[in-house]
Amino acid sequence: MQLAQAVLSGIQIGLIYALVAVGLTIIWGLMGMINFAHGELMMWGMFAAWSLAYFLKLDPIVTLVPIGLAAYLVGAAIYRLLMARVQRGEIFTQIFATFGLLLFMQNLANAAFTSDYHFLSNTFLATLFGGRLRVGQMVFGAPQLAGGVIALICFLLLYLLIERTEMGLALRATSEDPEAAALMGINATRMYTLAWGIGAALAAVSGVIVANFFAIFPQVGLPFTLLAYATVALGGFGSIPGTLLAAVLVGVIETVTALFLPPAFKDAFVFASYLFLGLFRPQGLFGRF
Amino acid sequence: MSTRRTPRGRRWGGLLGLAGVIIAVGYPLPFQWSGVIYFQTVGFLVLLYSALGIAWNIIGGWCGQFDFGPMVFFGTGAYAMGAAVKFLGFNPWAGFAAAMLFTVAFSALVTFPITRLRDHYFAIATNAIWLIALPIATNWDLIGGSQGLFIPLGRPEGLLAQLASLQPNGRIKELAFYYLVLAYFALVLLIAGRLEHTKLGYCFKAIRDDEEGAQSLGIHTRVYKVIARCFTAGIYAVGGAIFGMWALSVFPDQVFDINWGIVPTIAVVLGGIGRLWGPVVGCLILVPLSQLISTYLGTGPLAGRGIDLVVYGLLIMIVAAARPQGLLSLPWRRWLGGDPTARAASPAEPP
Repeated sequence: MQLAQAVLSGIQIGLIYALVAVGLTIIWGLMGMINFAHGELMMWGMFAAWSLAYFLKLDPIVTLVPIGLAAYLVGAAIYRLLMARVQRGEIFTQIFATFGLLLFMQNLANAAFTSDYHFLSNTFLATLFGGRLRVGQMVFGAPQLAGGVIALICFLLLYLLIERTEMGLALRATSEDPEAAALMGINATRMYTLAWGIGAALAAVSGVIVANFFAIFPQVGLPFTLLAYATVALGGFGSIPGTLLAAVLVGVIETVTALFLPPAFKDAFVFASYLFLGLFRPQGLFGRF
Repeated sequence: MSTRRTPRGRRWGGLLGLAGVIIAVGYPLPFQWSGVIYFQTVGFLVLLYSALGIAWNIIGGWCGQFDFGPMVFFGTGAYAMGAAVKFLGFNPWAGFAAAMLFTVAFSALVTFPITRLRDHYFAIATNAIWLIALPIATNWDLIGGSQGLFIPLGRPEGLLAQLASLQPNGRIKELAFYYLVLAYFALVLLIAGRLEHTKLGYCFKAIRDDEEGAQSLGIHTRVYKVIARCFTAGIYAVGGAIFGMWALSVFPDQVFDINWGIVPTIAVVLGGIGRLWGPVVGCLILVPLSQLISTYLGTGPLAGRGIDLVVYGLLIMIVAAARPQGLLSLPWRRWLGGDPTARAASPAEPP
């Protein structure tokens, strides 16, 4: 019973991780660019939701889409102003540049909001079904469950966008061979801008959802970033279903590990699973290369 | 960087080298005299990070492998040193050898299985090893857990005894550690400079440039990747051991700090990846800059709000966008008038 409950809450958490990681699937997994500041985009999403709720009394469920759209512009601007130039150097330069971006975004938040913990209370998602959903003997956190559903919707939309539309085809073509894609009349700069925009928007949206049940502070991003990188690699490069499955797996591993080991080891066990899997499938679960 | 130099270029190089040695050796003396030891610590950090950068360049710059987790070796080295001195009664000088051997063995053990992984997958694997080591160190009571491991204080009398037990104290502590880390840095530079032009060094670069090609020539790429990472690990271990003796304690959060991986890496990129002097140039700019910014902007009404790091991050982004190939890729030699061929080759490029 305890195990079943742990697996279920693992799936719930996994869906949230999936949402954080899927933005990275676009930027890193699909387009092959490194973004160390992914968690910071998410963190700004959280603070944006908090600010709008605190000053304008707007519920995060209302501000979700506007924040996502604003983050799209931020992501596009990051690519146009910074990463397009950085791309001319070695790939390691992207680590350098996005680490600068991480410091900039994290400490800007620190300057604006201090490093105190902020919380959102009585949001629509948090009070849904009185906060808890009881099915038989199992208990679900309602906001987490609702967040998971939103995550699934985002995944479905993204999957359709990448796999079923002309735009998605152009994105994939650019990621596989930018020169050949350019010869086919695909504007590579536009495709990269699009990928960064979507990636940033998804990061911010995941932040808005996570803000419903997680402390908001400037340093919240990095652990999520590291976990997201492992998730994307575990799922396999550029595979959207792979990311989803890997994220759920990560969530389940975490909660099940927590039954047996001190909480400090839950992430260590996730990374150990990645290493173990790498011995058999160096290209991740669903990776094509 | 081409090693062919005109006589004029060589003269410049020799002068520059001599000036560098004089500055490096003489740097801490005025501060020692005036008692401002803070600047000696800045020098200590510049040299330590530079040596780590040179070390990372071997696996990252020459061998072309995305190592995102070299900081695990810094921590391992510090812990090996602490344990050797505290539990086994080693003299710290022997502790360096112990720390290095232990860490190199550890590196070989954990690196070989993951050399199957390519590019980004390898990067995440190296990162994963670090993220597994961190909670183990934090929860392992034998080595102090989160309470840290304290290196027993000897309080030796007399300069010679202090140096023999590597516990200089009082006014000469920072000075002595500056020179220790200078010697370490010089040794690392020498070893890496030699290594670059040996068969081993060429094999590393062959793997970076074309892994399949190298393999088809009979290079055991997996073995060479392990060797490259063991060089990185060994140098990192000694760095960690020096840091442990300097702090006289080993705390998991401190020695496994992500900055031991990030700062050297970004210094390498800033200077120019794959270039021997790249990390040195990078650290000479980055470390004092971050100290200066935090001194001037980290105090006052907005102290503790991270304004200094906002500026620092902004500067990093500007440099990355302006010169993504690294600072050493700029035509310095042409500007200094050292290489007339370079001037003839690219007349169009504005100075």
